[in-house]
Amino acid sequence: MASLELKNVVKRYKSQTVLDDLSLTVADGETLVLFGPSGAGKTVLLRLVAGVIDPDEGKILIGGEDMTDVDAEFRGVGMAFQNFALFPHMTAFDNIASPLEARHSSKGVIKAGVESVAKLLKIDHVLSHKPRALSNGQKQRTALARALVGSPPLLLLDDPLRNVDAKLRFEMRLELPRLLHDRGATVIYVTQDYKEAMALGNRIAVMSQGVIRQLGTPEQIYREPANIEIARLFGDPTINLLDVKPARDAKGIYVGLSNVQVHLAGAFEAAVGRDCVIGLRPEALSFVNEATPGAFPVTVEAETPLNEKIVTLVRTVRGREILVSRPAGAPGQAEGKAHIAVDSKSALLFDHASGERIGANKVVNLRSGEAA
Amino acid sequence: MSASAITISGVDKFYGPIDRGVHAVKNLTMEIAKGEIVALLGSSGCGKTSTLRMIAGFEEVSRGAISVGGRKVHTLAPVKRNVAMAFEGYSLYPPLTVRENMAFALKAARLPKSEVDAKVASIAKLLEIEDILERYPSSISGGQQQRASLGRALIRNADLHLLDEPMGQLEPQLRAVLRGRIKHFIKERGLTAILVTHDQTEANALADRIAVMEGGVLQQFDTPDMIKRRPANLFTGTFVGEPPMNVFEAYVGNTVGKISLKLPDGLSLDYDKDAFSAPVRDQLLNRERVVIGVRPYAVRRSKDGVPATVSANQWLGDQTHIAADFAGGSLVLVEHDRTRLELGAPINVSIDPKNLHVFDQASGNAISHGMELA
Amino acid sequence: MEHTSLLERVLRGIALTLVVIFFMFPIVWIFMMSFQTNETILRIPPQLVFEPTLANYTALITGKLETASGTLDIAFMRNLWNSVFLSVTSVAVALLLGVPAAYAFARHKFRGSEDIAFTLLSFRFAPALLVLLPLTLYFQKLGLANTYFGLIWVYQLICLPLILWIVRGYFEDIPADIEYAYRIGGHSWFATFRKIALPLAGPGIAAAGLLAFIFAWNNFVFALVLASADKQPVTVGALAFITSSGIQYGQISAAIVLSITPTLALALYAQRYLVEGLSLGAVKG
Repeated sequence: MASLELKNVVKRYKSQTVLDDLSLTVADGETLVLFGPSGAGKTVLLRLVAGVIDPDEGKILIGGEDMTDVDAEFRGVGMAFQNFALFPHMTAFDNIASPLEARHSSKGVIKAGVESVAKLLKIDHVLSHKPRALSNGQKQRTALARALVGSPPLLLLDDPLRNVDAKLRFEMRLELPRLLHDRGATVIYVTQDYKEAMALGNRIAVMSQGVIRQLGTPEQIYREPANIEIARLFGDPTINLLDVKPARDAKGIYVGLSNVQVHLAGAFEAAVGRDCVIGLRPEALSFVNEATPGAFPVTVEAETPLNEKIVTLVRTVRGREILVSRPAGAPGQAEGKAHIAVDSKSALLFDHASGERIGANKVVNLRSGEAA
Repeated sequence: MSASAITISGVDKFYGPIDRGVHAVKNLTMEIAKGEIVALLGSSGCGKTSTLRMIAGFEEVSRGAISVGGRKVHTLAPVKRNVAMAFEGYSLYPPLTVRENMAFALKAARLPKSEVDAKVASIAKLLEIEDILERYPSSISGGQQQRASLGRALIRNADLHLLDEPMGQLEPQLRAVLRGRIKHFIKERGLTAILVTHDQTEANALADRIAVMEGGVLQQFDTPDMIKRRPANLFTGTFVGEPPMNVFEAYVGNTVGKISLKLPDGLSLDYDKDAFSAPVRDQLLNRERVVIGVRPYAVRRSKDGVPATVSANQWLGDQTHIAADFAGGSLVLVEHDRTRLELGAPINVSIDPKNLHVFDQASGNAISHGMELA
Repeated sequence: MEHTSLLERVLRGIALTLVVIFFMFPIVWIFMMSFQTNETILRIPPQLVFEPTLANYTALITGKLETASGTLDIAFMRNLWNSVFLSVTSVAVALLLGVPAAYAFARHKFRGSEDIAFTLLSFRFAPALLVLLPLTLYFQKLGLANTYFGLIWVYQLICLPLILWIVRGYFEDIPADIEYAYRIGGHSWFATFRKIALPLAGPGIAAAGLLAFIFAWNNFVFALVLASADKQPVTVGALAFITSSGIQYGQISAAIVLSITPTLALALYAQRYLVEGLSLGAVKG
């Protein structure tokens, strides 16, 4: 049992409030991702939970027990750091063994524990090396092994993949879910990479300026972002944002794109007649022929392949830029005039002034098993 | 294509004495046409930056020749080569504002002020740095500095634009749209550009052709599409493409009417002999062991496929990445829809022979791509 | 880029030789003087070739100084011992007090910590003469004058700020995350200090200790005022060679050679550790 509960936690540095009255509950066995730009307070939050810094106000409960005033070494959590934080004067083995040594485990138990976790992370062949003799990927795995070795019920991972190259990051991202799942630990995972957040989190807490702006499943965050800022943070390429003023006719609510009335499917009554911003995910747009309902004309400016997708930069009749993304095999155009259409169900509307999302096209709140 | 913009012929680069020092670039020959965007792609130490620095004139050519626009330039001073460069470390002039930095070369060329202002304004709009034109480099973020440095290079009317890791520090939210705009800008003006990058995503997005380098040797020089479909060897195959190509070692088996590629754990991919052209068949059957590769998006789930077990299933909003335990290793699949599969779920995968890449086990050179010989 | 030309190498060699001669000359000259009698030393012009004598060293070691006006008793060996004892003990005490303090200043920003640290450093700026007079009076009242204890205490003015400030810098250079990682692993703060902070700052501590040792060894004014003959270090003891019948250059040179030998030996021995320590960039990941 190691649920985590933060109650009205406040942390200030001098006059600056880094965490502002933050409350959060993480269920036993859940992986919660803290996502946000640097300076959002994610790392501070993690350190408060670890006990290496103290909150100014509020309570921290681990497994239902009040740990606010308990020293770090008695909290029984595991933590991996962004810069690895390996002990440079110890071998990889001694690094990994250090949490077990703190418990005064016997030599045999330590050896067995280190070797099994090292094998799992594929670093069993470099255990005798000092950190400086390890590659970046091996350092990162050593740091992870050190966090995992004591089987802590609560695992704090502070952007552990940030300092490794793209290929290793990808590899680790696919390897982590099983590692974490097999340990049954409750995990708090900090990242600035939305892909990691969506791939690893049962839920994602989007933070900025010391406050959680939205808390939900990857599905909720992606499909129903609370505001424009959050919508912009998830997705590659970034969501298209265009100023519109929705209106209503006999067929429903529509917006003007390239001087064409594009009808939207969604509960957008509240948006009619207001200054809004429409959010169109690049993958919700597709090249179609002129006759398709809602198709609007654009000029293709450049085609830039992105991994297994093709991203096209197009310009509307009124000179606004839109990015369209499609699977590599799908129909599209590399230059000249074209028509594109919106998957009307996935359009998002935001209030122009506040940036808040309008409408209630709620997705069922499901805790997706696939990200576990 | 029109006349060649730059020709590199038989260029070697040694650091230290010739033939004894560190051999950073090995016998490099390349021809780049006017109006082309070429990416030099490779990991650090592959020789791509040395090549760029030799073209720019910051590094001596140990052997061979470089000509730009038909003119031999490799012995000229950098300033006489008429190339514009955006540096990886930005190298903006600290005492000048962003505007003055961008206008510097134009002013030196004695362009009228109105023209300079107009050019700066248009590039600044393209790169979204209009609001920081009057700021100094030290007071803007890394991403903004990089955009200013790019602007300073793009604004010039040079025979050749060299861009060293031009977009590494860009804000992720801006990256896709700036790629589109910069590509459009270069193409519209018919500029010739060489960019150096370690990021294959960047190279694929911007370049007409990619030169993949490793260990100082040019591995392949072709369009992104061809590199993806017909990688010359195992290195290019696994280096270009994200997620990377799945590779497995296989034994070639020959049963009646079938070619079997036998994988660990007793698994086997069986194909009709007719799935391959006769020369490919001969090549395969001549070998005992090969390395097979398949791109993640080309792996299909199908009932009659080979069994695998899901080890991760990650939905990223517009794609699903699935990893599966397969043949003693890990197999990655990419699907464009959202796939709902539990961890540990059994699946069956099949690989269409037309998406199968076969490499020589010893040299890593490609043997065949689908039906065709490499 | 290109391999250097012959001319360049020759010029570089000449430049290096000049620098070496410039810096080594006094040491070599003193070394040579220590094997000459006063007469040969004072001969004009000076001669590079002479008949070496061990008389100076013999005089120092036996403590009998023969001068024109008779035999003088000198306590050089006693002085040397005093120097060693005072310096070693002072540095040891300063390390014992300074290293934990430096750690506290580096890791815990408490109210006024910056001020306290600066006050300690300011001891190094204050001219010793300023505090000497009141200090002498106090010491006489307290009975600390002319005791090893008193001298070591005063030597802390030299050693402690130095160690505090150098070692603090080294502790600050250790990423806090490394220590956090150890604590989260279940170790107490003291274990973290002992097993992580101390070993990683080790080279810095050694460097600071060496520097403090040299400063303590070279101290003159405190010992001159606060110690009488039997507690004086060599720096003060050397005054004895300025005798009524003239300055004993030969013996002074021999004394200098003997007294710089321990510091020189220590510096040479510690050098490789210092270099290793300074290149321990591995601390930063």
